[in-house]
Amino acid sequence: MSKKITVFTTNTCAYCAMVKKWLDSKGVKYNVVNLDENPEKQKEIYEKSGALTVPVTLIEKEDSTEEVVIGYNLARLASVV
Amino acid sequence: MADKVHDVIMIGAGPTSLAAAVYTSREDIETLIFEKGIIGGLAAITDQIDNYPGFEEGIEGLQLAEKLQKQAERFGATIELGEVQSVKKDGDVFSLSTTSGELQAKTLLIGTGSEWKKLKIPGEDDFYGRGVHNCATCDGAFYRDKKLVVVGGGNSSAQEALFLTKFASHIDILIRGDKWKASDVLVDEAEKNDKITVHFNTTTDEIVGGDENKVTAVKGTKDGQETTFEVDGVFVFIGLKPVTYFLEGSGVELDEYGFVKTNHKLMTNVPGIFCAGDVRSGATMQIAAAVGEGAAAALSIREYLENYQREMIPNGNGQD
Ligand SMILES: Cc1cc2nc3c(=O)[nH]c(=O)nc-3n(C[C@H](O)[C@H](O)[C@H](O)COP(=O)(O)OP(=O)(O)OC[C@H]3O[C@@H](n4cnc5c(N)ncnc54)[C@H](O)[C@@H]3O)c2cc1C
Repeated sequence: MSKKITVFTTNTCAYCAMVKKWLDSKGVKYNVVNLDENPEKQKEIYEKSGALTVPVTLIEKEDSTEEVVIGYNLARLASVV
Repeated sequence: MADKVHDVIMIGAGPTSLAAAVYTSREDIETLIFEKGIIGGLAAITDQIDNYPGFEEGIEGLQLAEKLQKQAERFGATIELGEVQSVKKDGDVFSLSTTSGELQAKTLLIGTGSEWKKLKIPGEDDFYGRGVHNCATCDGAFYRDKKLVVVGGGNSSAQEALFLTKFASHIDILIRGDKWKASDVLVDEAEKNDKITVHFNTTTDEIVGGDENKVTAVKGTKDGQETTFEVDGVFVFIGLKPVTYFLEGSGVELDEYGFVKTNHKLMTNVPGIFCAGDVRSGATMQIAAAVGEGAAAALSIREYLENYQREMIPNGNGQD
């Protein structure tokens, strides 16, 4: 089970909107961190994902492990959310 | 086996299909659209669209995409997030393999647009998403006060480089030929921008990374001389190619460049399969044209379905 889901986005990123639409369609609750508004979070998400891209979805699980999904990857999202 | 035959399945939810869906669903033609990427297609990832009629101040691509989606859904079109993997004729209907299972439809609209070409040079795949990008509106924000290379000499390259100047401290645009292939308005704006330097006759040969697994430089050849651009990232816009892989084995005819051929009714050589927008042979690669073609294809689909219905009625003589 996932405890907390965070989607890292920017103002202009259309794939981010798709991740949010997909999570909404599945009735999944999530937080959003907008990197345009919180540029200081960029380093944190780069360290977790190793990628210079958004969206990045961070899934923190009940057992305190984390899963990171880079981009709009429906197959990966469906398997970890 | 599919338990329902859809009136029309549209492949791709770019401006083409979304416009077509406004027309079909408003005419009570049951409409299902498949989208494997972004609803709104390439228009959704464009920062600002200034040449789409009706928006005198221009409109953000993402906002236009949302408006197109809402308008299609308002009349009952359904959008399924998934991929159409193959298409084949199956008696009177078309069978589609999709990520949501096997589906059937009386007619199809191909509106799959195009995707970016790759440079096919060392480093491009290794650093993809970590220094090599195709989407400025997605990834530009990671390059605040950093240096970039933009590759390509067309409209997209000029337009995206201008968008990237919001973030980057400097951009080198590398163009293989000796001139731009972009519109004068964009070229003018790019060349006037202090943050942009344009390099003609320059090939892009290799993308180089450092210890941290990040891009550190781009190697190129300018006027026959090897040259290195020390940058943090590369955005590649060297042109688009039509998306038709799922048509393999369908019998749909393509032109010599891989675009789908149609007649004046926007129907392919396979009766019942229609095509419009950027993926169509002869397309003008503009949103206004894509929605116009989408509307025209929808009317042809309606006409085809009327005949289809008549032919399916037992003892019908197929005449008005
Ligand atoms: C950087 C850039 C800037 C642009 N700026 C402008 C501009 O300012 N003004 C203008 O008029 N035009 C502009 N264009 C062109 C415009 O975006 C296109 O003409 C328009 O989006 C074409 O619409 P379409 O629906 O035919 O294809 P697309 O927008 O490409 O949409 C096709 C959709 O099909 C989906 N798809 C593909 N294969 C499958 C499959 N097998 N299963 C399910 N889905 C599939 C794709 O994911 C995509 O979302 C720009 C293009 C680019 C790249």
